[in-house]
Amino acid sequence: MKVDELLAPRILVVSGKGGVGKTTVSAALAVIAARTGRKVCVAEVDEKGSLPRLFGHGDLSYEPTELSPGIWGLNITAENALREYLHLQYHMRRLSHVFTGTHFVDYLATSAPGINDLLVIRKIWYLEQGPAKGGTNQTYDTIIVDAPAAGHMLTFVGAPQGFYDAIPVGPIRHQVQWVLDMIEDPARTRVSLVTTAEEMPVAETIETVEALHGRLGVGTGPMFANGLYDGLFKQKELSALNDVDPQDMIALARATGLDLDKDDISSAVSYARFLEARRAIQRRHLRVLRAGVDEPIVQLPFLFSAGLGAPDIITLADVIEARLAAL
Amino acid sequence: MSVVSDLVDRKEIIVCAGSGGVGKTTAAAAIGMHAATRGKKVAVLTIDPARRLASSLGLKELSNEPHRVSARKFSAAGLEAKGELYAMMLDTKTTFDQVVMKYAPSREQAEKIIGNRFYRNISSTLSGTQEYMAMERLYELHAEGGYDLIVIDTPPTRNALDFLDAPRRLTDFFESRVLRWFLIPYMKAGGGFMRVANVAAGTFLRIVKRIVGAEVLDDTAEFFGSLEGMYDGFKQRAREVAALLHSQVTSFVVITSPAEQSVAEATFFASRLDEAGLPFGALVVNRVHPRFGDRIEARPRQISKLEQGSAEARLLAKLLENEEAFMRVVELEERNLEGLARKIPRHRWVRVPYLEQEAVDFPGLAAIADQLFATTAPAVRR
Repeated sequence: MKVDELLAPRILVVSGKGGVGKTTVSAALAVIAARTGRKVCVAEVDEKGSLPRLFGHGDLSYEPTELSPGIWGLNITAENALREYLHLQYHMRRLSHVFTGTHFVDYLATSAPGINDLLVIRKIWYLEQGPAKGGTNQTYDTIIVDAPAAGHMLTFVGAPQGFYDAIPVGPIRHQVQWVLDMIEDPARTRVSLVTTAEEMPVAETIETVEALHGRLGVGTGPMFANGLYDGLFKQKELSALNDVDPQDMIALARATGLDLDKDDISSAVSYARFLEARRAIQRRHLRVLRAGVDEPIVQLPFLFSAGLGAPDIITLADVIEARLAAL
Repeated sequence: MSVVSDLVDRKEIIVCAGSGGVGKTTAAAAIGMHAATRGKKVAVLTIDPARRLASSLGLKELSNEPHRVSARKFSAAGLEAKGELYAMMLDTKTTFDQVVMKYAPSREQAEKIIGNRFYRNISSTLSGTQEYMAMERLYELHAEGGYDLIVIDTPPTRNALDFLDAPRRLTDFFESRVLRWFLIPYMKAGGGFMRVANVAAGTFLRIVKRIVGAEVLDDTAEFFGSLEGMYDGFKQRAREVAALLHSQVTSFVVITSPAEQSVAEATFFASRLDEAGLPFGALVVNRVHPRFGDRIEARPRQISKLEQGSAEARLLAKLLENEEAFMRVVELEERNLEGLARKIPRHRWVRVPYLEQEAVDFPGLAAIADQLFATTAPAVRR
C-alpha cells in the first residue's frame, strides 16, 4: 500500500479503545502526510488530550494553531461548534454565550441525542469544505480526527444518520445530508482503528469494524496493531535458554571486559523468557484480529523508549511508512 | 499482608477509580474474587458497558441485579470460595426509574416522568447520569445490607474525576437557572412560544425549535414541570451518598498504569480525593514491566565483540541487548511513577506486573489477585 493510497481520503478518523495509542498513531500519520507536502490539520475531539504535547505544544484551542511545519491542530468541543454554528447560521453573537453554556449544550444533547456529535462532525465538514463555506480560513489537504474511544466512536460517526432519520423536514435536514455525504463516501472519509494485541481491544476492534461496514456504511482504512514486541531470539536460541550455564556466560563476558554475576545472567534470561511469553500472547490475538477483519494490518513495534515526545513520533512515522510499503 | 487485603478485611465499600484502559475492571473483579476466598459475601458492581467483567467472571450476561459466580469457577482455578461472589452491571435507566418512583409525590406523577421522551433521553445521553446512578445503586446495595463488601468499578471516562462531580452536575442541570428562565415562561404560556413576553426567551425558543423541533420543547417543559417538588429529595439523597463515600466504611483504590498520562491522572486524582476529604486506601500500579535484577552496564563495544563470537556468545549479546531494552522501560516507568510517590507513600502501593498470562479468564484473574494480595511483591524489587 502506498502512502498516497492511505491519504487518498482527505479525512482520516483514528479511533480505538482507551490506552492503545490512538493519539500517538494520529500524530505519526500527521507527520507522514506532512512529509508528502500535504497541509495537515489534526482535530482533537471533545476532551483535551495529549496530542499537542507530542509536538511539544500546550493545549489546543478551537482556532487551529501550527504544531510543526505543515501540521496544524485544533480541539473541537460541542460548545464551540454550537457557538460557531449559531454565528454562521443565525448571525448571533450577543446571545450566544447563553446558548453555549454547558447546561444549554447538555439540554440540546438530551433533547436531541447525537446533536453534540453532529455539531462536531459539522465542524469537520467546515474544515473539509475550506473558506468557501465559512468556519475556517484555511484549506487542508488532510484532516486527521483523533476520535473518541471506539465505543463512543460508533455513536459519533453514526450521529448524522440518526439525526437524519429523526428529523422529517426542514433546513437542518439538508445540512445533515451534506455531512452524511461526507461521512459515507469512502473517497472522502475513512476510519482506521488502533488496537493492541490483547483480548479486549481486539474484540472491540472487530465489533467496531463490523458496525462501520454494516449498520453505518462507513469506509475503513488500514488497522494498526500497536505495541508489538519484536522477535529478537531465534527458535534455536530460545531452546538454548534452558541450558544456559551461568559460568560460561560470565567467562564470555569477562573476555570482553564486562563483569557479570549469576544474578545478572538470571535476570537477562528472565527478560528473554518474558519477551517470548508476551510475544506468544500477542501472536494469538493478532491471529484473531487477522481472521476478524479484511483490512490490511500495520504492525507497530513496542517502543522501549516510549516517552511522549517528538522522537518517538518520528520513529513511529518511519515504521508506518516502511510497513505500509511492504503491505 | 498487602495494603489491599487490609482494606478487604476492614471496609464495606471499595471504589476502584482511574483513567480508561488501566485495568480498573480487572482489579475490581480480582479484589472481589479474593474477598470471596477470605469468606466474605461480596458484590462487584461494574459500570463498563463492554461487559468485560462478565467475560472475566464467566458470566454470559450481567444485569442490574447481582448474579452469583459459581463456586465451581473457584475450584476449577484451584481456589476455595469460603464466601460468595456476586457480579452485576449497572443499568442506568432502571436505577433512574427507581429513583423517580421513590421521590415522586404520586405514582401518577412518577409514571408521567418515566414516560416522558426527554426523561428517556436523559438516561442515555446526559453526561453525569451514569455516574450519579452508579453512586445511587451503590448506596442502595449498601443500605439493603446484604453484603460484607461491595466493590465498585467507576465509569470508563477519560477523566477519572468525573464521577466525583456527577451528582452535583446532574442536580445543577435540573435546577439550572438558564433553562428554567427560558422554559418556565414557556410552560406558563401554555406551550405557545410566540406568546412568551421575554424577548430573549422568545429567541431562545425559536432557535431551539428550529434545531430540535417543537415537540421536544413540549416534552422538556412537561419534564421540568413534573420535576417540581422532587428537587429536595434528589438533593437529600445526593447528600446521603456523599456522606457514605466520606465515611470510614468506604475506601478508594486508585488504579493506574505506569504510562506518563495515566500517572498524571492518578496523581491529580489522589490530590482531589485528599481535598474532598475522601478516604484513600491504596494505589494499584497495573501493567508494570517486571524488574528481574539490577541494570547491567554493558558497553556497545562489548556487545559487538560478543556478536562476533561463538553461538553462545551471540546469544549472550542478544540477552544483554534485550535486558538493556527492558531496563530502559523499567526505569522510564519508575521515573513516571516518582511524582506519585510524593503524593502517596510507597507503603500504600501495590504493583501488579505484566503477567505471562492474561486476566481474561478466571485463572487469569486469580493470578492478578495473587499479585494484589501478595505479602511481598515478587520480582518487583525497589
